[in-house]
Amino acid sequence: MLSRVADSLYWLSRYIEHAENLARLVEVTRRDSLAIRGASSGESIWRPILFASDLEDEYENAASDDEKNADVGYFVTLSVDNPDSIRRCIALARENARVVRDQISEEMWVELNSIHLYLKSQAAEQDYLQDPDRLFRKIIRFSVVFQGLTASTILHDEGWQFSRLGQFIERTDKTSRILDTLTFTGDEPERSELLSVLRACSSFAAFRKEYVDGVSFRNVASFLLFSQAFPRSVRFCLRRLDETLHAISGVAPGAFSNEAERLTGSALAQINFSSVDEVWSRGLHKSIDDLQVRLNNIGQQIYETYVHLPFEIRNVTRTEGIPLDWRHQQQQQQQ
Amino acid sequence: MTFTVTGDTVHGTERIFPFDLIPRVIPDAEWQKIEQGLSQRIIALNLFLNDIYHGGKIIADGIIPEDVVKSAAHYRPEMVGVDVPKDIYIHICGSDLIRDGEGNYLVLEDNGRCPSGVSYLLENREAMKRAVPGMYRALGVRPVDDYADLLRKTLEFLSPRQAQSPVCVVLTPGLYNSAYFEHSFLARQMGIEIVEGRDLVAIDGYVYMRTTRGLVQVDVIYRRIDDDFLDPQVFREDSMLGVPGLMDAYLKGNVALANAVGTGVADDKVTYAYVPDMIRYYLAQEPIIDNVPTYLGWREGDRRYILEHLEELVVKAANESGGYGMLMGPSSTKEERVVFAQRIEAEPRNYVAQPVVSLSRHPTICGDHIEGRHVDLRPFVLYGEDIEIIPGGLTRVALTKGSLVVNSSQGGGSKDTWVLYQ
Repeated sequence: MLSRVADSLYWLSRYIEHAENLARLVEVTRRDSLAIRGASSGESIWRPILFASDLEDEYENAASDDEKNADVGYFVTLSVDNPDSIRRCIALARENARVVRDQISEEMWVELNSIHLYLKSQAAEQDYLQDPDRLFRKIIRFSVVFQGLTASTILHDEGWQFSRLGQFIERTDKTSRILDTLTFTGDEPERSELLSVLRACSSFAAFRKEYVDGVSFRNVASFLLFSQAFPRSVRFCLRRLDETLHAISGVAPGAFSNEAERLTGSALAQINFSSVDEVWSRGLHKSIDDLQVRLNNIGQQIYETYVHLPFEIRNVTRTEGIPLDWRHQQQQQQQ
Repeated sequence: MTFTVTGDTVHGTERIFPFDLIPRVIPDAEWQKIEQGLSQRIIALNLFLNDIYHGGKIIADGIIPEDVVKSAAHYRPEMVGVDVPKDIYIHICGSDLIRDGEGNYLVLEDNGRCPSGVSYLLENREAMKRAVPGMYRALGVRPVDDYADLLRKTLEFLSPRQAQSPVCVVLTPGLYNSAYFEHSFLARQMGIEIVEGRDLVAIDGYVYMRTTRGLVQVDVIYRRIDDDFLDPQVFREDSMLGVPGLMDAYLKGNVALANAVGTGVADDKVTYAYVPDMIRYYLAQEPIIDNVPTYLGWREGDRRYILEHLEELVVKAANESGGYGMLMGPSSTKEERVVFAQRIEAEPRNYVAQPVVSLSRHPTICGDHIEGRHVDLRPFVLYGEDIEIIPGGLTRVALTKGSLVVNSSQGGGSKDTWVLYQ
């Protein structure tokens, strides 16, 4: 398939997975901030979200420009000044979907288009203030429905594999980042914080089944990193990523034909043959940091291998960075 | 279905293209004449293009002034002496037809570069089949659904690699183009890739597309972008839509383009006036479908006539399309006429004028009742191994009462066109 189309399918599902994870994180944090009302200004409980999404600088700038953005929940959910807000991610997902309209089903398009229209409407702003539960439920529901439609309404061909790559690389990244919020203060996290993290990963019930001996920092980390069966654990997602890359290239499991496969296999082996003791002795934050560097490299290598083809393109005179002009040229008259 | 309007930033750019439920019906005998007339015309236009890019006998014989040809905005000196596959330049043509007071069909203009609208025709038909299946069956309407197959065959016919199954693609300017919906629709219907310039790369005289499996050689490009943007090395160097090196591959015969480069000289609104003469010259036949009488700005006598009768005429810029750059004399204001008079004086070559032909009207649903609205007809002609015209065409309707402008960008809508078996 066309490299550009594969790339759009990848980003389409990646943006949606990203938006869903943010929605869960914000929703959980918001609820917890209600519980500890009065304990602090509320600022400190929101900090880890910014930390987990690498948005601290953007937040400072946006908050000083517009007081609406001072509310971290708003900044992450609906702000147009945050390039990474749920609203902006859904808009980007829709842009990518437009490019691949012929690859996705009508149902997928309709779902995506309606959440996009909702998020840019006054209704969403109003829900955020008056009925935030409704807003976040809607976003999470949308993502779940969309992923269900992706699994059940389109061909499971190469394009579908690329959308799975986007989904699982993003999910690995998000689970690890959410876990990393526990290392933010440097203190031993409280029980309520551990529960929040489990809930933000939709994993409370699943965790209970695997760890009857209780909620401890080590257990939570061990579950989110190593669980064989929980579909948001780092191990589970890396395994899917590895399988999908091999499904695309047709290369046997355990072997590799490109850098993306090699790095993914190596990251998976690292998880498969590691243990929570080893993670603890290296430090959780350090281990997660390493994982994220690996994930970035994997994403980069998927791009190099399948999208930005590794051959020399001669005589490229394309000027850089004038998308408006480009858009204008696209609008040339048709007869 | 949506399309995009250029230059309206307030209301956004995606619009619904209005569709009228009352079909326009064309009896078989009437259609046969249209078919013959359009076939005759596309043959003559192609002979003309081949001629002017290979010496120009028609100019030497004094049928068309050299000036008219060479000063056309879309004349491409790069194409002089170039042989195109099968000597066909215009493979896909959309000529606009109207009917005069006596019911005769006349050609209003030819669109021989990137005619659009065929997807609306196909979608309209699907909508009508769902809406009035009984009437559709009872009348005996000729089907249109093999268009995509015919188009694909037309494209494959041009392939430089006939030995194997040719790789054809649709080249679109991109998502923001008004006709993007159609580009993607046709690609889907034909089962071929829709590509943007950045998906293609020219290496050593061949064109390839970038896929997840590496580079794949492309044989035929159904391009929906103007000549100007095709290749920044040859045409506009600021083009971000084209493929550097594409023309080189094209001139070497390693990739075919539909339509060919340089066809715009044939659908120029001044050249248009000479098409009946071309038919007589190349085919020794009388035109089966006539032109609308046309006054040319560059002819001294005609120009004087135009300037004196602005109020009665439709004035058109020679190289604009989509209803842009047009003066409707009878409904114009004095200020508009003054502006146009100045433009004509300044650039006489760029303007033509025609008497207002009262376009035929057709019953159309207007709110809760039916009224007459002006219509035209754009049939789509394919010229490959054979000439194929799918029965009917896109009937465009001016939804505003009294308006004669049917272009979608100017508030027009469309109807399904039913050609009957008898």
